[in-house]
Amino acid sequence: MSARLAYETATVGYPGVTVVREATLGVAPGEVVGLIGPNGAGKSTLLRAVTGAARVSAGRITLAGEPLAAIGPRERARIVGVVPQAVSAAFSFSAREFVLMGRHPHLGRLQQVDSADISLAEEVMERTDTLRLAAEPVDTLSGGDLQRLALAQALAQEPSVLLLDEATSHLDLNHRLQVLDLVRELADAGLAVLAVFHDLDLAARFSDRLGVVAAGLLGPIGPAPEVLTVPLLARVFGVRAVVGTDAVTGAVVVTPVLREEAVTETRRGRVLVVGGSGTAAPLLRRLHLAGYEVQAAALNRGDVDQAVAEALGLERVDVPAFGEVDAEAEAAVERMAAGADAIVVCEVPFGRANLGNLRALARAAVRTVLIGRFGPEREFSGGEATALVDGLQAAGAVTVVEAGEAVAEVERLTSADSPPSGR
Amino acid sequence: MPVPTRIRRATVITVLLVGLALAMLVAVGFGAVSVGAPDIVRAIVRAITGEARVAGDAVIVDIRLPRVLLAALVGASLASAGVLYQALFRNPLADPYILGMSAGAGLGAVIALTLTASATALRFGVVPAGAFVGAVLTIVLVVRLASLRGTLDVTSLLLAGVAISYALSALTSFVMVFFRESMASVVFWMMGGLTGASWPYVLMVTPMLAVGLAVPLLATRELNLMLLGEERAGELGVDAERFKRLLLAVGALLVAAAVSVSGLIGFVGLMTPHMVRLVIGPDHRVLLPASAIGGAIVMVLADLAARTVLAPVEIPVGIVTALVGGPFFIWLLVRRNGHR
Repeated sequence: MSARLAYETATVGYPGVTVVREATLGVAPGEVVGLIGPNGAGKSTLLRAVTGAARVSAGRITLAGEPLAAIGPRERARIVGVVPQAVSAAFSFSAREFVLMGRHPHLGRLQQVDSADISLAEEVMERTDTLRLAAEPVDTLSGGDLQRLALAQALAQEPSVLLLDEATSHLDLNHRLQVLDLVRELADAGLAVLAVFHDLDLAARFSDRLGVVAAGLLGPIGPAPEVLTVPLLARVFGVRAVVGTDAVTGAVVVTPVLREEAVTETRRGRVLVVGGSGTAAPLLRRLHLAGYEVQAAALNRGDVDQAVAEALGLERVDVPAFGEVDAEAEAAVERMAAGADAIVVCEVPFGRANLGNLRALARAAVRTVLIGRFGPEREFSGGEATALVDGLQAAGAVTVVEAGEAVAEVERLTSADSPPSGR
Repeated sequence: MPVPTRIRRATVITVLLVGLALAMLVAVGFGAVSVGAPDIVRAIVRAITGEARVAGDAVIVDIRLPRVLLAALVGASLASAGVLYQALFRNPLADPYILGMSAGAGLGAVIALTLTASATALRFGVVPAGAFVGAVLTIVLVVRLASLRGTLDVTSLLLAGVAISYALSALTSFVMVFFRESMASVVFWMMGGLTGASWPYVLMVTPMLAVGLAVPLLATRELNLMLLGEERAGELGVDAERFKRLLLAVGALLVAAAVSVSGLIGFVGLMTPHMVRLVIGPDHRVLLPASAIGGAIVMVLADLAARTVLAPVEIPVGIVTALVGGPFFIWLLVRRNGHR
């Protein structure tokens, strides 16, 4: 299907300022394309260039194949509807009058709105849950109501292209989903939608494709799972994040772990963390933030701790989901343990699958911190793990109650002037 | 279901037209010689049908009627210009004077007045032309200044308007000091007055008002959309940049019409649209014609007060409107602050 809205190596900006260079993107009927990127990257400018509020200084933008420059404002307003970030309502028009203003491009100079226009306005107000506000003066309404009225106004234009600029920023949870479901429905009925999102999860959930706007460029563009990757999030947003899949909707979900700049400049020692099932995630984050060179012992793919370690870009040993720590992985962990300044064993149960991690530590004999007592509730290896932990303790391992204490202990163990733990 | 706009509009405008007719009858009737309504109507009928005049017709037909009509035309022009600028600025406190256009029209008119000081016959044609040229040059200058940084945004437009306004007022005073012999008449004219009203003035201002009102009346939907902001108006199909320029030009015509025949009369352009808006709301389909008629009523009554309150001494009508408008403006400010 050919694009209804197309940017053809379009350079957009304002007089004297170039904001986005050589953007190329096509939005087909039935498609929702989401634009994401840091503040001020030019997402809104890309939208504003379509309605003439920003300039196209090179390349071009086309609507249904026709260059924008050849389309007058009225004709364009019959094709493109916009829902802006903020709606101003300084004068007291009623909500119905406000929505009817969207009919402007369809009305002749001396033509008045007729019953067909009014029923269309009421239909779009019904769909945006604003019909009950019809008689209210718009200058008394909340930001959320205004935003839905702006959508109703845009839909009253009967557009075939809809541009949404943070169109749900003022909406509560319920209305946000309602509006986006409506947009999805309209797209399925043939509307081409280009939407700027701040919320990456909403963007991933409601867009067929995502386009990243950063550093004056548009790209990459593609389905959410291909675009929202750990390295891209780090590069574009400066955020270390876990990229997962929402258990309910199946959409890509981004959980920020830490901001790049928050990591301290101080370089500290090397710490190996043994975890699994989420027992290590907070500790991995804290140690990384504090400037330690953190390593993760063998973790299953799909495990929360593994995702966090990946997001943080830690050196780690991955084993397949539900797989065992095999001899190869065990050897890798042993090498890490030998080079570590300290080792932390989180409050994780040990069974046949992950026993390899403990065996590797036992041979390395590095200063170790154990979080939580190792009791029968964590023993699933028939006694083997208990024996290994006893061995670690005999070699001088310290036991602490929770992660905070473990961090303090690690700090003591890795600071150069501290005596080796010899208890 | 609210009352349809068409019916509401017809009702409001009918009521205002009746009010204007009554105000004009009263204004024509009052004066050194009082005349009853039937006599006024008869005198006008005689004048139209070309029947022989009777005693007293001259006062009604040659003096009072053109003056009252001129007051109505000036009031309508000022109020319409006020509506246009308020839509353009999206600010109900905006006034033609803020843009510096009145000062520009004033300077143009003062230069025309001093140049034609000895030739009274020339004045009639040159003063309005001077006012219009002054208003247009001012608005061109203000728009140029305001768009130095690219697009024409309202804040820079206001700043440029205020700055130019000061400069032009200073220039006007300068011209007045240089041509002392004509200073008295200029000063009186500057205060705003309709003393010199005559039929030729009425015939001159009428087409200016007609054009100045007809153009925006054909674009009331665009005026409404401008209240949502230029960008939103653009998104909804208005060529905002062009429409703004059209509004400024039409406003210049209206301001020139008013200033050239009556000097600087303030507050009518601010007060009238505001009062009308309080009653009927912001929809320009009603607001614009209703403000034009309302402005006419306000001006007719203000001029009536100007020439009767201290009779036989006549107060410049600009002083009357300022006396009423000043407190009104303060009330507006206090009310707005109270709402915040």
